[in-house]
Amino acid sequence: MPEIHMASSMAKTFEYLRQMKPDLVIVDYDDRTIDRAEFLSQFVASDQPMQVMLVSLQASGKVVVYERKTLTPIQAEDWLALITTANIPTQSPPAKERSTNSMKHFVIAGGLVAVSTVLVYLFLTGAGLLPVEASRQAVLVDQLFDLHWALISFLFSLIVVFMGYSLVVFRRKPGDDGAGKYFKGNGRLEIFWTLVPLATVVTVAYLGSQNLAAVRAVDPQAMEIKVTAFQWNWQFEYPQYGIITDTLYLPVDQQVLLRLSSRDVIHSFWVPEFRVKQDVLPGANLVKELRITPSQIGQYKVRCAELCGGAHSAMERPVIVQSQADFDTWVAQQMASEVQDPAQRGQKTAEIQCKACHTFDGSKGLAPTWKGVFGHRVELSDGSTITADEAYIRESILNPSAKVVKGFPNIMPPNYKDTLTEQQISDLVAFIASLK
Amino acid sequence: MKKFLSIGLVRGLLHQVGGTAFGIGLVFLIQAIEGKALTSEPAWVAGGAVGAIAFLWGVGAFRDWWRQAMGETVVEPHEVQDEPGARRFFNLSYDHKVIGVQYGFTSLLLLVMGGSFALVFRTELMATGLQFLSYIQFNTLIGMHGMVLIISILLGISAIGNYVVPLLIGAKDMAFPRLNALAYWLAVPAAVLLIMAMPLGGFETGWTGYPPLSIRGPMGIQMFFLGVFFAGWSSILGALNLVATILRERVQGMTLFRMPILVWAVLATSIMALTATQLIGLSFQLVLFERLLGMPFFEPAQGGNPILFQHLFWFYSHPAVYIFILPGLGVISELLPVFVRKPLFGYRWIAMSSMGIALTGFLVWGHHMFAAGIEDYLRVPFMYSTLLVAVPTGVKFFSWVATIWQGKIRFPTPMLFVLGGIVVFLLGGLSGPPAGTVSTDLHLTDTYFIVGHFHDTMFGGYVFPMFAAIYYWFPKITGRRMSERLGKWHFWLMAPAFLLMTLTQMRIGLLGMRRRIADYDPTQGFQIPNIMITIGGFLIALSVLIFLINLIRSIRNGEPAPGNLWESRSPEWQVPSPAPVHNYEYGLTVVGDPYDYGLEGSRYVEVPTALPIEVPETPAIEVELS
Repeated sequence: MPEIHMASSMAKTFEYLRQMKPDLVIVDYDDRTIDRAEFLSQFVASDQPMQVMLVSLQASGKVVVYERKTLTPIQAEDWLALITTANIPTQSPPAKERSTNSMKHFVIAGGLVAVSTVLVYLFLTGAGLLPVEASRQAVLVDQLFDLHWALISFLFSLIVVFMGYSLVVFRRKPGDDGAGKYFKGNGRLEIFWTLVPLATVVTVAYLGSQNLAAVRAVDPQAMEIKVTAFQWNWQFEYPQYGIITDTLYLPVDQQVLLRLSSRDVIHSFWVPEFRVKQDVLPGANLVKELRITPSQIGQYKVRCAELCGGAHSAMERPVIVQSQADFDTWVAQQMASEVQDPAQRGQKTAEIQCKACHTFDGSKGLAPTWKGVFGHRVELSDGSTITADEAYIRESILNPSAKVVKGFPNIMPPNYKDTLTEQQISDLVAFIASLK
Repeated sequence: MKKFLSIGLVRGLLHQVGGTAFGIGLVFLIQAIEGKALTSEPAWVAGGAVGAIAFLWGVGAFRDWWRQAMGETVVEPHEVQDEPGARRFFNLSYDHKVIGVQYGFTSLLLLVMGGSFALVFRTELMATGLQFLSYIQFNTLIGMHGMVLIISILLGISAIGNYVVPLLIGAKDMAFPRLNALAYWLAVPAAVLLIMAMPLGGFETGWTGYPPLSIRGPMGIQMFFLGVFFAGWSSILGALNLVATILRERVQGMTLFRMPILVWAVLATSIMALTATQLIGLSFQLVLFERLLGMPFFEPAQGGNPILFQHLFWFYSHPAVYIFILPGLGVISELLPVFVRKPLFGYRWIAMSSMGIALTGFLVWGHHMFAAGIEDYLRVPFMYSTLLVAVPTGVKFFSWVATIWQGKIRFPTPMLFVLGGIVVFLLGGLSGPPAGTVSTDLHLTDTYFIVGHFHDTMFGGYVFPMFAAIYYWFPKITGRRMSERLGKWHFWLMAPAFLLMTLTQMRIGLLGMRRRIADYDPTQGFQIPNIMITIGGFLIALSVLIFLINLIRSIRNGEPAPGNLWESRSPEWQVPSPAPVHNYEYGLTVVGDPYDYGLEGSRYVEVPTALPIEVPETPAIEVELS
């Protein structure tokens, strides 16, 4: 418990100083009984600094601290000499005058924000930021984008205009080393600019969930198409027609249900003009669905949108949206041209499944060329040689790493045994055999 | 020669080489004994790990602890004298100011390296077709660009945290100086491992390392995983140190709500880094084991699920991006009052917004997976939580504007970078919500729009504030100031070039340019935009070159700046520059609020120039009492 004593005469003060050796001495600045010079010289004889606080003892009992310094006695004397009542902090300019000035700047800046919001919004919506809308989903998605452009226009303007205005109007004038306007906060404003954004984001999220539901709307009559992605091409299968193709033909204004699966790594199905995108995963239990309703006849491209190694950038195939009549014609053509010759069927299969790595014309690719291979001797990576007969070709398809040709990496996907039918394999053998 | 070999960095690297060889040899020996064929991948993984630990042994990071374990006495860190001159930066030091500079220089080195990778692949992208890069080279370069820069950012924020935080809170050093040294030196072998990914086959996956691709591709991915693992250790230990320091080492009188705002930002960042980083280490470790030991975590054919990886990975990697930006946003809040000469608006709310971002940042990771094939009942909640982060972020922006409003604004180079940071980060913050609502994100994900978005947030939240911090605190470190003229060149070149780059990226992303592609469809009309993006990148590089020239020249020949150059109220500017070796020799007293610029006669802290007066046993003068 600190000991506290009060003295009201110089004599008593010095007695206490000598006896008590206090840690803290509070001196009433206005007290006329104190001779400051004598006090300081009697109090401290050395040049060691001390803490000096300038306080005002209010009648209410409050102590107002004006200043606090660490000074030697000489410095303290000089400093105290400087303190006159004129230096004690005065009132800031009258409240009314202050707020009129602030109001003026605020109104001008606010007006500029409104103008800027409109201009930015017109720019964003007029600049053709998005590709053509070629699906019903695209129309819905673009409506949500529109909401975002509006919010962006406002928020961008709000911050940039107020900042820009400040940087011009409130820049320091040469020679003015003074401070800016002193205000530290405003509780009500803080709550306002926390709650309003909170309400806004919840609303936007809600609208977003509505939009997502609309985008994912199910048409039970949708035509099912099996999409298989693999390094680095696409295959499309129309189960109800038995058509397999590497170009996606779609009838306009009809929803298609894409069932997506990968043979190897993660890919992603994306036609920018359709907007919606879906990653394509390997694994029989991880088939993903994507529903698209093309709404504009034309030619587009599906582009793999998940880095899948190697030629990922080239993994693009045409998407052709046609009238129902033209689509029906195409289907009929595909089914009629069900080829009878195994080698020709094999070629069609090979162009989708194998051509990414194997060449058919003798040129060097990622994998051995097929030209002239059938029935001839082949050197393997372990140094042995073998005849490339039908058994060898079948084994190469079903169990690629059993025998690897010398000079080529062991990268052939191992799951053709699961994905190719027996007929397809026979067709492939026939095709390879035909390449003399 | 002996002098060269005695340098800590050199010893560490030599030990790393030796340790790597030892690890490789050990694995080959085991394989030979087991009669198996010698495969290089397990050997390199073991070698890499052993080499990194050997580096730490070689640089002396374990030395004191080892001696203590052996029962010997060790010198206390604050009593260790570093050798004077530039050599001390290449040796083990326990001084937070030396370590801060070490972090800073390593960060700048990695910045230049990662940026250079971008210049290479951006050159390739100037025309369609593959000009001089193969697919694997391109894919490796983009992955390296990403991860090298991520580590550069982690080291850069550690530089700021380490150098500045003890000074801001009146401490003489960090809570755990030896741990501090270990945390820094972990980053060096980590960077070496990461770079080793390139000669060891590269990797195809980009920095996100998704399986199954990462399970199957070239071996460089293992070095990538190891490098990140050790860098993650560095991040965790550094964060631990900062949390302890901030909570326990503040000078008497500096309550939490009286400490500089940057310290709040670093605290929020460190809490995240301390708790989330483990997840990226884990997810990479699982792939490493799947490759080495066949453990089928992610391969569907064996019952694994690749989406599991994405959850584990993004659970860290989303908070990670807030780790990257919170310190920079703290720098903005810290520097604005100094250059507008008025208080920071809403100090407590800004402090709490950093903590708010840290908390909500843990709840949003699913937005990276909206197209990944996760269930719909997950997508919508993640959309809500993602948009929610806009609220504390908005508090920061509005507070900054209110701080600037009606100030008396000065425009030295640090202020230019602060203002540039705000505008660029605003673009990042505004391009977030379109990616945060699911249906629009289905168009945007994996396109250059996202590339533009994250370059905005990274430049606005880290790169610009980092440069502001360097120009601002350079005098405190060296006693000299950097050239204002070159600084302005740096800014006025970097800012417009960056805006050109990012706005073009976002434009072509919206129009259909995918990301991570070595080549693009000529019919999409993206050639000219790609040329513009590349030009933007090269101009940014030029501006950084100007900065580096400024930095190197100013260390020796900068204009002397021994005092309170910026007229800041902050504690570190009340002591001379360069900062005294133990910061505040005679302590520090908090006498007011940090940002009361304009409050007549007020001070934030008082720093005595000598020890406080001691009352003598006997009175100095015999007093005659009347």
